[in-house]
Amino acid sequence: MIIPIRCFSCGKPIGHLYEEYRERVDKGEDAKKVLDSLEVERYCCRAVFLGQVDLIDIAGAFKKG
Amino acid sequence: MKLEKLKEEKKKGKITFLLKDSDEVFANTIRRLVMEEVPVLAVEDLEIKDNNSALYDEMVGLRLGLCPIKTDLKSYELKENCKCGGEGCARCELKITLKSGKNGYVYCEDAVSTDPKCTFAYPKMPIVKLLPKQKVEMTLTAVLGKGKDHAKWIPGLAFYKREVNIKVGKVANPEQIVQQCPAPGIFSVKGNKLEVNSDKVHDCQICQKCVELDENISLEETGNFIFSLESWGQLAGKEMLHHAAEILVAKVDEMEKLL
Repeated sequence: MIIPIRCFSCGKPIGHLYEEYRERVDKGEDAKKVLDSLEVERYCCRAVFLGQVDLIDIAGAFKKG
Repeated sequence: MKLEKLKEEKKKGKITFLLKDSDEVFANTIRRLVMEEVPVLAVEDLEIKDNNSALYDEMVGLRLGLCPIKTDLKSYELKENCKCGGEGCARCELKITLKSGKNGYVYCEDAVSTDPKCTFAYPKMPIVKLLPKQKVEMTLTAVLGKGKDHAKWIPGLAFYKREVNIKVGKVANPEQIVQQCPAPGIFSVKGNKLEVNSDKVHDCQICQKCVELDENISLEETGNFIFSLESWGQLAGKEMLHHAAEILVAKVDEMEKLL
């Protein structure tokens, strides 16, 4: 839906890093390099980035039930 | 007991220090005090006037609760200790207003706090994403709380591991050990001999892989602990430790009185 504010496991705030991550990965940069430069060290936080699917633009067009 | 600072990154709020002449019990006490007892501000109540975004009110509320708020512990009090008796006053509550109708992400920086010292720690944290004609308007109330009640009040991560010395004798296959060690940079090969880089030994994860591969390598525990603190942005790394120490003293005093 939308990027979580924090990592599910360790609680590190990660939401503010997502836009840069998305932009750079979409440009073709390697996700590993981007995550390393954003200093996301632990694999729990990295997994949140890698598994994220943005659906809020699609879901937002519909009425909430 | 002695403390020795190993590494400090003030911008990221990280501190690593060595805990000497102590034991696991004490190290774990500090860890638990930091994670469970040191109070920080977090959004607890919100009054929603308008929200027709894609996220339900509850989801927006939960997201706002998790956004770290810079905390000044001198000007705020836990609700149960406040002079107002828990009713809510300027000493125990922080009011924040959030209003946006712009297309795109609503960030934490769009929220206006009544206390300029205590604002959201990460200005670019996305709360919701709005499409045209969608808007949010709400009033938030942040209060101090403890990590044992909810994860949003945890000031940071505290963890420790044992310190080891790595002793290397004659090693048959040094290249293999450099390759298999999960922490990069601890081992290096110099002229067919395995060498330990002393400044990287603290990265050792004590996985025992090198000991399994070669019996001439041994890990010796020094009895010290490598203690790491990582702040989530509400307090500085040092502040967390400082307050944990104060709470420990207060708790010991209380116990002394009760006995």
